[in-house]
Amino acid sequence: MMNEILIIARKELLSVVRERRVLFTTLVLPIVIMPLLMFGPILLFGNAARQTQESVQKVGVVGVPAEVLEQLRKAKVEPIEIANPQEAVQNREVLAALVFEKGTFTIYGRLSGGATQSALVVEKVQGALRAYKDRLVTQELQNRGIGTDILEPFRLETKDASREQERAAGLFAFLIPYFLVVFIQTGGMPVAVDATAGEKEKGTLEALLAAPVPLVQILLGKGLAVFVMSLLSTLAAITGLLLGGGVLRSLFATQLQAVQNGENAAQLGGALALDPLGYLSMIVTAVLFALLVIAIMISLGLYARSFKEAQSYMSPLMLVMIIPILFLQFSDFIKLQDWYFALPFVGVVLSLDAIVKGSATATLLSLTWVSTLVFAGLALYLAYRNFQREDVVFRN
Amino acid sequence: MIEVDNLQKAYRKLHAIKGISFVVQPGEVYGLLGPNGAGKTTTLRILATLLKPTSGSAKVAGFDVARESLAVRRNLGIVNGGMKVYDKLTGYEVLDFFGSFYDLWGPGLKERIAWAAELLHIEQAVLSKQVKDMSTGMQQKIVIARAILHQPQVLLLDEATAGLDVFARRALLDFVRQYAELGKTLIYSTHVMSEAEEVCDRVGFINKGSLVYEGRLQEALELGSGNLERAFIRRLEEAA
Repeated sequence: MMNEILIIARKELLSVVRERRVLFTTLVLPIVIMPLLMFGPILLFGNAARQTQESVQKVGVVGVPAEVLEQLRKAKVEPIEIANPQEAVQNREVLAALVFEKGTFTIYGRLSGGATQSALVVEKVQGALRAYKDRLVTQELQNRGIGTDILEPFRLETKDASREQERAAGLFAFLIPYFLVVFIQTGGMPVAVDATAGEKEKGTLEALLAAPVPLVQILLGKGLAVFVMSLLSTLAAITGLLLGGGVLRSLFATQLQAVQNGENAAQLGGALALDPLGYLSMIVTAVLFALLVIAIMISLGLYARSFKEAQSYMSPLMLVMIIPILFLQFSDFIKLQDWYFALPFVGVVLSLDAIVKGSATATLLSLTWVSTLVFAGLALYLAYRNFQREDVVFRN
Repeated sequence: MIEVDNLQKAYRKLHAIKGISFVVQPGEVYGLLGPNGAGKTTTLRILATLLKPTSGSAKVAGFDVARESLAVRRNLGIVNGGMKVYDKLTGYEVLDFFGSFYDLWGPGLKERIAWAAELLHIEQAVLSKQVKDMSTGMQQKIVIARAILHQPQVLLLDEATAGLDVFARRALLDFVRQYAELGKTLIYSTHVMSEAEEVCDRVGFINKGSLVYEGRLQEALELGSGNLERAFIRRLEEAA
């Protein structure tokens, strides 16, 4: 029995290996693209922010006192008189504008749409005004013979009490579940489509079905090939993340340090600090999750008539799987119940998050593993039923 | 040997096959002839255990198609016009893949591949090409080689010459006769009457799911004054 499964899996993988495009997108691209995705924006934004801090930008001013103008110049901002501050900022004549009217300073900037240069200049102007205000307050206190320590009657400190693993994980805590979900599906999808709907569309399925191999073995052989490609793709992505991240960290250590303002640069990418049991738990969770996703993809692929139809069924699956990851971002605000760990997809994401952060328990992991195995079994049974149906197999 | 007894196949309201019966003896080529949509492919798919009959029974090499599907498949090869093999694999890899399901390995497999290649006029050099780089006719020969590699007792050919050029078609027709001479049982299904005239020993006319005529080739030719196509049309008109 195992022999036939391996023969079929080998054939599917051989077809994939000869398809350079698929090989490139599933195995090579993740290695190249992951470090860029992780560190590229940080480095780009960090450099842009530093350059904005170090260079001089034009800021429109209306009715601003001479003392404040001087303060702005000290903060590397060039004040220029304008008539309409809102219009000048909107038309990008200036990066920000400052208006003083009836004892109130109003700053104009383009603050929508994520990180903008205008927002950084607004921060510069705010800094200059804060420095000006502190100077005025200090002067006034001195005039009245009062020390400035009255402004700070006590010291305030905040300490991160999260587990060491959670602190070390950094962005990994969120990204590991995300990457596993994305790469397990994207890595397996081309093989799943080709091995199911692809065989129907190309007319090769009938010859295979006429061979003396039970349907379940054909199904398992195809599933094994998809499983191998899913795991290879995920491994490629994680390798890209770890190796590429390490290379980029060493190449751009200064820039990363500057962006972090002195904090540990390694935290930008994160670093897994799991014990062997932690790694094993993560692998078991990922493997079971892969089984579930693969069984669903094969079931959908067998039902579909063509490549296009199969892809149109499988693509929304990604959206369904990403919902629990979005849910994960707000998990701190929700009192997690044990049964959440038994839900399909949700349980896997919660378990991976807990493993990375070092808060996983044997009970909760078991709950996720058993339920995922059951759901995978059900999906596989559904795929088998689809394979048995003449109206599905000969649907094209 | 093939034994078909009152075989029926229905898809919801459509009766694709309405109780057909026939027997094909070893060493015989049986022509299942009829227009497109007559029920030929459905009949052969049932014999190949790809479809389940709604009622009736059929035996291939002594095994029941509904209950002993794996045993049937071990003793049967099927080719149809729309059947393809994996285009990213070489001809040799395709035959290796299918041969392994019939316990063909190593030297035994090589011998069988050489035998099939000779029978179908496939050059050894062609076998090392990927299927996608072969001509349509050569691809069809690989499909046929895959079906005969295990030297099945029963071979079903359904519109097997579709898309073949004149040389490949000639090779296939010659092969059909040679294979029958080995004592094998063949069904040759087609709507091209001239091909049936060349290779069949007996013929059955099928129309709208019913077998409207069955007899030896010579008898059928006499029915159509020496022309099988005329015999087919005449028999259909009589049955209407």
